[in-house]
Amino acid sequence: MEVAEVEAEVEKKATATRSRLIVRLAALLVSHSTLVSVVCCLAGLIALLVLPLLAKNTYISENALLPGSANPVLSYQHVTQANNLIMDIMSIADDKQAPDIEIPKLIAKYMEILGAETYHHKFSQPQNQFHPLYFFSSSPNSPPTLANLSYGTSTVGIIRAPRGDGKEAIVLVSPYNTQNAGGIDASASASSIGLAFSVFSLLSRATWLAKDIIWVASDSRFGDHTSVSAWLNDYHNPNFIGDASSTRIFKRAGTMACGIVFKVVEKERREKYEDRDVVTLYAEASNGQMPNLDLLNVVHYLAVHRQGIRVRIGMFGGLVKSHLVRVLGEVMQQVGRFARSLNPDWRFEMPSSEYVEGTATLASSIYSQALGVPTGPHGAFRDYQVDAVTLELSPRFSLKNEHTRLAFLLKGGRLIEGTVRSVNNLLEKFHQSFFLYFLTAPNKFVSVGVYMIPFAFLVAPLPIIAASLFNLTSNRNPWRWLHTAKPLLITHTWSVVVTLLPFYISKISDLPSTHCMLTWAGGSLMALVILYIVFGSPYSKHVEWRLLKAVMIASVSIGLCLMSIINFATAQIGALFVVPMCLFALPIRVKTNNSLIRSMVMTCNLVMAVLGFPVTAVALMQGVIKGFGTVSILEFWDSMKFLWGWNSATYLYLVLVHLPCWLLFLHILFHPCR
Amino acid sequence: MASDPMGSQLRRILSIFFSLSIILPLSSPSPTMHNNNWAVLVCTSRFWFNYRHMANTLSLYRTVKRLGIPDERIILMLADDMACNARNNYPAQVFNNENHQLNLYGDNVEVDYRGYEVTVENFLRVLTGRHEASVPRSKHLLSDEGSHILLYMTGHGGNEFLKFQDTEELQSHDLADAVKQMKEKNRFKELLIMVDTCQAATLFSQLQSPGVVTIGSSMKGENSYSHHLDPDVGVSVVDRFTFYTLAFFERLDMYSNASLNSLFTSYDPTLLMSTAYYRTDLYERPLNMVPVTNFFGSVMKTIPTDSAYPGFLVAHASEYAAISAETETARVVLEDEADHSKTYDQSEKGLQHTLDEWLKLLEGKLGVKDPEVLVAYGLGSMVLLLTISTWLSS
Repeated sequence: MEVAEVEAEVEKKATATRSRLIVRLAALLVSHSTLVSVVCCLAGLIALLVLPLLAKNTYISENALLPGSANPVLSYQHVTQANNLIMDIMSIADDKQAPDIEIPKLIAKYMEILGAETYHHKFSQPQNQFHPLYFFSSSPNSPPTLANLSYGTSTVGIIRAPRGDGKEAIVLVSPYNTQNAGGIDASASASSIGLAFSVFSLLSRATWLAKDIIWVASDSRFGDHTSVSAWLNDYHNPNFIGDASSTRIFKRAGTMACGIVFKVVEKERREKYEDRDVVTLYAEASNGQMPNLDLLNVVHYLAVHRQGIRVRIGMFGGLVKSHLVRVLGEVMQQVGRFARSLNPDWRFEMPSSEYVEGTATLASSIYSQALGVPTGPHGAFRDYQVDAVTLELSPRFSLKNEHTRLAFLLKGGRLIEGTVRSVNNLLEKFHQSFFLYFLTAPNKFVSVGVYMIPFAFLVAPLPIIAASLFNLTSNRNPWRWLHTAKPLLITHTWSVVVTLLPFYISKISDLPSTHCMLTWAGGSLMALVILYIVFGSPYSKHVEWRLLKAVMIASVSIGLCLMSIINFATAQIGALFVVPMCLFALPIRVKTNNSLIRSMVMTCNLVMAVLGFPVTAVALMQGVIKGFGTVSILEFWDSMKFLWGWNSATYLYLVLVHLPCWLLFLHILFHPCR
Repeated sequence: MASDPMGSQLRRILSIFFSLSIILPLSSPSPTMHNNNWAVLVCTSRFWFNYRHMANTLSLYRTVKRLGIPDERIILMLADDMACNARNNYPAQVFNNENHQLNLYGDNVEVDYRGYEVTVENFLRVLTGRHEASVPRSKHLLSDEGSHILLYMTGHGGNEFLKFQDTEELQSHDLADAVKQMKEKNRFKELLIMVDTCQAATLFSQLQSPGVVTIGSSMKGENSYSHHLDPDVGVSVVDRFTFYTLAFFERLDMYSNASLNSLFTSYDPTLLMSTAYYRTDLYERPLNMVPVTNFFGSVMKTIPTDSAYPGFLVAHASEYAAISAETETARVVLEDEADHSKTYDQSEKGLQHTLDEWLKLLEGKLGVKDPEVLVAYGLGSMVLLLTISTWLSS
């Protein structure tokens, strides 16, 4: 009996300690919240800075791709044919006889010689409408009203795979501007068409095609993106309600396996001598979506290892020259060396120059994704879940010389041929490799598992701080946070009003952007005042500043986490601004013992009150990235217009998460502390 | 002397009885002689980039056909999506070499299980012979206790498994179980399992049945690599292990006497980039005494006829099989010891003829079918003859 009793007691104790362990751990964290938050934030910052060191080399993970396993067969014959087309285009452009009608006709004629199915696709310029809530999908273009005088004409050719099942297609896009046909870069622009034609003529005779080939010679008079997105929209949303437009011919060729956009750009004057042809890859689509890494890998592999073309990706040149980054690079190198001396297996030593370049590229990658705006026509493909990439080929020698042009076309054409052949081998959609990644070099990437660590470190202290603040309040009622929910609700209602205001402002046409900006600011202020008059002041006697801060932190952490799902890069940059605001917020009138710490915190608070304001924050970001000379605060309207024009969720983040956080921060700062 | 030819006749008969008494007890404990050959060739992968696996299997198919296994005794399992794949630069052709000398997918390729029929279930059904009633006879492995079976598999594998078309896998104990069932059901006499995958050796670890000899392209932890890439077709066209196996067989025809040992030791680890592993602990015969044609070729069912007329044909086929098998082993031994002259073979043949007649006589007289009874009678009459002859000579 006794033994059993003792055993039962022991068991009871054991379960008691077991159930209590997590609670005790949480209590421990909450009681040391300051230490925890400082450690976490520092760890987050350091983790962000060492991301370039943690980058891995890319590899092709889809076996079916087999890049470069077949010899390219594009020959001088194809290239000479393409050269004839280039010459014809140039002569039309020089004659200035309605090139916007003649050139599509010419391209169609050449396509038909190859036996391709050809048609013209007409589209007009879409209205730049305010529809921020469509940020997940493409803009629902209305069918083009051709009554509009100004419209572009893309020429589309389709090669059916001789033995394929016709269910899949690969899309080649070569943008060409008919408006600027006689311009400075006319030869380069015509070369894009020539390049596409050389590949197309090869593919029209290929026996190994399993997917149909669509070549879109897109008219880029309204920008490269517009024509491609209009064509894709018509491709995926057939317009059955026929009026005049129903007679238009529109041919299709199955689901798209991949889109390859390529254009030839002749750089006027380069800073340094190039010893090779260069291809620059653009991959970022809307809202930080990226094409599958395998697609980039295939292009990179073929360009570097088969054609000897140098591959570049976007990089912030300013950061390479920055002293701060260079010093950081030196430090990283020393740390890496030290770590290796401790244990030879720790091989994360990296030369400082490589670190600096990695950082500049990574910053560019994060920024392009955070902006949520596609960096080229490939973004239009991503809206339909098609993997696409833009290749910008720039030749080493001038294209005016015919020999160098032929050699360049041969090289570029073989790169595209290899990519098409590789994608042609695919049996499924791209799915093996990563979709969520940052690039630190054309052949190095940081995968999602690694880049989430800094964000997790930054966000982790928020709930802990909220809990500890909640415990510190004098009121012991568990429902005490309900009073503070009111200012929170007011703030968020206000932010929704601010989000929607531009919709009405943009209805008023012909306002200069400064006026729009002022109207927006005025309208927002008025809305805030009205809300306060209706719902009462946020500083009622039940609203303790600690509770207010706890609620603010809770709402911000929810907002950040939501945003990290929609567009991680935005959340990452946003966390750098918002998390310090959440942690440091302290009323001016609060009494503390240590005056030194108080004055330091107050200075930080005031600085953050200025920098945390979305307008200054955006200006600051752009200043860091592009240099401060070009930045002005009044450009905010334009940049916001840019964001919602591209359906970027970053706009929603700025106004629905960042702005309320800043307002609540001000509330706390000016809390009366009764 | 009249007794002299009589005596020589008797001595002939005596010598026949001696030879009978030596030969028959040796053959009687295992009544199953090697009398037919089967091959099961399996390509377990699918999809265009696995072209080489289909090419491997078709190459082996071609080789065993060339060496004499008829089509009806080859069970060929192929995903079969290469020849008519839209990506194939050479429609309806499959090559195993970039020189494109040999189209493996010629006129008479009989695929028994194709496409999605190549499953673990069907594979195990083929081995164990448990088919549904609707499965045609040509898809059965109709082997018996006298069969030598070659089982060749290629595809993607790992530690103790082999993938079947990316959807399921055959594990080493599944294979061992199937082989054990085959042994229990007397479905083979000897079985050669040849596997070309990564970590192929691990697939044999669970095998326990006697009479099985196995060879795999790589050891545990090793990969098997493709041999070369065809830049025209744009894929790898053959695996290293199979490539060097084929290179070995290209030198042989169906009368060659190369032993299994010479095949197994021909693999060079530096060329294979993996270590070919063979397991012989379940196998009784010494490998250097087993010609490769015992598995890769076929036993010709030779029916020795005394004359072209059916009246002289021997009625009892089973004994003929036994006898012809005996000559087969004699031939092997002979070929191993190359310095012996062919006359031995000749004398053996002459001996056989008289033996046949004597047996026929005995059979006709005694009306028995069992060789054991014959032997007993033979021994009895021999003792009788012995006593009579000694009595006569004294």
